[in-house]
Amino acid sequence: MGDNGFAAQLAEDLSEEDLRLVLSVFRTDVQRLTDTMAGAATAADGPAFRRAAHGLAGAAGAVGAAQLEAACRAAMAEAGPLVGLLAEIRAWGEAALGDVALVLTRLDGQG
Amino acid sequence: MSGVARVLVVEDTPTQAQLARALLVGLGHEVEVAETAGAALVAARDWRPDAILLDIELPDFNGMELMQRLRAEGVDVPVVVVTANASINAAVEAMRAGAVDFIVKPYAKARLAVTLGNALEKQALAAQLASVKARLDRGQFFGFIGACAPMQAVYRTIESVAASKASVFITGESGTGKELAAEAVHRASPRAGRNFVALNCGAIPRDLLESEVFGHVRGAFTGASADREGAAKLADGGTLFLDEIGEMPLDMQVKLLRFVQTGTFSPVGSSRLERVDVRFVCATNRDPMLEVQAGRFREDLYYRLYVVPVELPPLRGRGEDVLLIARHFLAQFAREEGRGFHGFSPPAEQALGQYGWPGNVRQLQNVVRNIVVLHDGDRVELDMIPRAVRRPDGAEGDRAEAAPPAAAVPAPGVAPAVAAARVVRPVAEAAEEEMAEIVPLALMERRLILAALRHTGQDVPRAAALLEINPSTIYRKLQSWRAEGLLPTG
Repeated sequence: MGDNGFAAQLAEDLSEEDLRLVLSVFRTDVQRLTDTMAGAATAADGPAFRRAAHGLAGAAGAVGAAQLEAACRAAMAEAGPLVGLLAEIRAWGEAALGDVALVLTRLDGQG
Repeated sequence: MSGVARVLVVEDTPTQAQLARALLVGLGHEVEVAETAGAALVAARDWRPDAILLDIELPDFNGMELMQRLRAEGVDVPVVVVTANASINAAVEAMRAGAVDFIVKPYAKARLAVTLGNALEKQALAAQLASVKARLDRGQFFGFIGACAPMQAVYRTIESVAASKASVFITGESGTGKELAAEAVHRASPRAGRNFVALNCGAIPRDLLESEVFGHVRGAFTGASADREGAAKLADGGTLFLDEIGEMPLDMQVKLLRFVQTGTFSPVGSSRLERVDVRFVCATNRDPMLEVQAGRFREDLYYRLYVVPVELPPLRGRGEDVLLIARHFLAQFAREEGRGFHGFSPPAEQALGQYGWPGNVRQLQNVVRNIVVLHDGDRVELDMIPRAVRRPDGAEGDRAEAAPPAAAVPAPGVAPAVAAARVVRPVAEAAEEEMAEIVPLALMERRLILAALRHTGQDVPRAAALLEINPSTIYRKLQSWRAEGLLPTG
């Protein structure tokens, strides 16, 4: 697991059904928002990039994907090349999606 | 947290919105999600949430502006701002902008429950406080206008006693609103759907009073050509208001005492006992205990009726109420008379505030009516106020000249039909006396109007009601007669 305690709080607070739903929505958010950031990076649209990073930071924070959240917040604050920032966010995004898959597999195993 | 609340989640990131929804539903609340500030405004108006969970960063406009717009639209809902650690400053700013609390992402269910619970409780306490404050600071109560402390005490007493059947004894100077207080007792009571019957004991000839109260049967006396119900019967299930009870003859007081004690009476000329369920409200402008001591009022009847005393303060002791009432009457009469008045000039308000108002609210009512009928403009200026009222020393002046302080005009919907009918005869008699000679019609009109004014103690609205003309007509006639030198000028 890329982030220690990923989804741990969610597992405590939510029913299995709700947990699956939230993680499913998170997975969609990661894909959608990194795609948006990629488009903004290509267009060198800093404000659009930062708006998407803000959304992804919130989503990551909500599920406990701490390193993805930190990368997004760093990207919101930095004025560096967007492509470089995007690469790091993508990496942490993929790690978070891996965590999601692990949690879902665990849930399937319990079910 | 107690009870189910409707929580509006304003959040544009689906993961956070879904998480908030799941947690809140898990806590037993109803949830709506708005993804934009614009959608939140609509939801706040239409769905009427009990609380809002608000993310500051939104795609259309931010949470701060949303809070401002909600406030501008009168949406009074506690807002909890959701923020990331990095934007604590924004959360503090949001609280300055009106949010009740903030919660840091990511938040656990327990933290959300406590934060939201506190916000809802705070809101409930604020609503309770506002309700209590509104009850304590009421500017209006049934027909009363007035926010001063003595009137608040009157409102509270009336409210407290309304639900019971206890007799209410209203005291206060003439024109302080004793009949209005009696109506308020009735209208605030479970008897509100039944009759409120008012009898002015001082305006009814002694030999007719018993019949007015208890009714009579055919042949009971000369002229009793048919059975007729009295006020007691008409008030069955409702409220019987005996105004000027101190004027009731002693022999009639004995009969009233029996009625109050037993709830039964016999119509004049009948031996049949009738039982009714009546709540008694009495009023006098005298000190009832002094009347007892002077032997003019039966002590046993006094103790039967003087159960809950309500003392109405004179207008001179009601401070700013004078202006509240004056503004109320000005708006009402300007509307009725088609005038453009919107208020009083500061000197005019000062004059009204300094005057002693011996005729109390009724006199103030007549003064404002007089002003509205005789003048027009955007606001009432000092020189429009009758001279006697605007004396700089604040003296009470000549009552008849300042304005006629006399009997109340029955309020719409609770017209004291019995009492009103009784006072017609003496006016007609008075007019008849003056018709011994044939005189020009204009002179007869003047005599008749002046006779009506004398009869009603210079109460223009009541005189007008008796003459079945508009009070404005009397005011205009008086003005014109003064201008022609037919009356002393004031």
